[in-house]
Amino acid sequence: MSTRNIIFSGMFLLGMVIAMVPENTTKPYKLTAEDMLVEVQGAAEMVSADDVAHWIISQDPSLQLIDVRSPDEFQTYHLANAINIPLSVILKDEYQDLLDQGVKMNVLYSNGTLNSHQAWMILRQLGFENNYVMQGGLNYWFDTIMNPQAPSVYSPDEEFAKYDFRKAASGALGGGGAVALTAPAKTKSDKPKVIRKKKKKAPAGGC
Amino acid sequence: MGPLVPQEIISASWNLFIAFGIGIGFGFVLEQAGFSSSRKLAGMFYGYDTVVLKVFFTGAITAMLGLLFFSLFGWIDLSLIYVNPTFLWSAIGGGVIMGAGFIIGGFCPGTSVCAAAIGKIDAMVFIGGIFLGIFFFAEGYPLIKDFYMAGSFGPIKISDFFGISGGVMAFLVIIAALVMFKLGELAEKKWPREEY
Repeated sequence: MSTRNIIFSGMFLLGMVIAMVPENTTKPYKLTAEDMLVEVQGAAEMVSADDVAHWIISQDPSLQLIDVRSPDEFQTYHLANAINIPLSVILKDEYQDLLDQGVKMNVLYSNGTLNSHQAWMILRQLGFENNYVMQGGLNYWFDTIMNPQAPSVYSPDEEFAKYDFRKAASGALGGGGAVALTAPAKTKSDKPKVIRKKKKKAPAGGC
Repeated sequence: MGPLVPQEIISASWNLFIAFGIGIGFGFVLEQAGFSSSRKLAGMFYGYDTVVLKVFFTGAITAMLGLLFFSLFGWIDLSLIYVNPTFLWSAIGGGVIMGAGFIIGGFCPGTSVCAAAIGKIDAMVFIGGIFLGIFFFAEGYPLIKDFYMAGSFGPIKISDFFGISGGVMAFLVIIAALVMFKLGELAEKKWPREEY
């Protein structure tokens, strides 16, 4: 058999093999375990609930909230303008364009942070950028943004500023009371009482 | 692992450098295979020499099988490979113009540069024609824009269009190539030419 015919037969055989094997659709991971560890420790994927509240109120067009809970839970309550992509179907093709893009900032949330973090890790492994996790999830959202607790009078001013913002945000987002509270003017009575220690008695008796 | 450039395993500037090396190699092989002779290329159309068909189809099949097997072994992620978007009518129109130029001039763009490098004057004229064509295309673009953009299919593959696997498509291409090689050899026997 001539060289030419050997080459042609080789091509034919290889073609038959490639026609019969299933196509390899697995994509190699974009991140190694070490890369992932660095990302997770950096916690750069976290955004605070306060930031999210601020973006919602100021109607930031780059914000895209993604609810990874079940459709039932989503129906019961969801953040304004959020879309529902349950964790179980996050790999479906129809969501690829939403999750793999460089324009908007996707903020994932669930009740806690477990499911949203699971979703984030899957997306990160696929190499998708611009996905973030709302710190504390909806539970924290309710505790802090919707029903903020007044800080104790001894708290630093930043705590009051935060409380004021949360109180206002809560009003804007349909939560509890809408009355903003400013830090109370510190009066004399606010001064911590000085509790004087009793003087130690001189040891009774003697040597 | 692959592709190396989109995943930045090879940087963009090294990419250009490597492309330069591959280009030199490609030109060297073209010249060695005698492709700088316009008679050899024109022979494809007159039927007395079908080496061009065989060389380019063998090259395409080698690359195709290589990519598919690399993908099978997990060495390359085919979804990251750039696929040229298809504009049906400009592809047909361009093919006709290119084919006509091929017969009339006796070169394809690559071989004309090869032949010019060894001092063939007709090849230099051919390259001048290429630049004239580029100039008139660019200046006349508004006139032909509608035709140019018509029949847009995006970056589609024939296998996706017909809903068959890439492997089956590759096998069909190989069979088509082998049939063409056989027909080419029959043509060489039917219309032989002693010296060209």
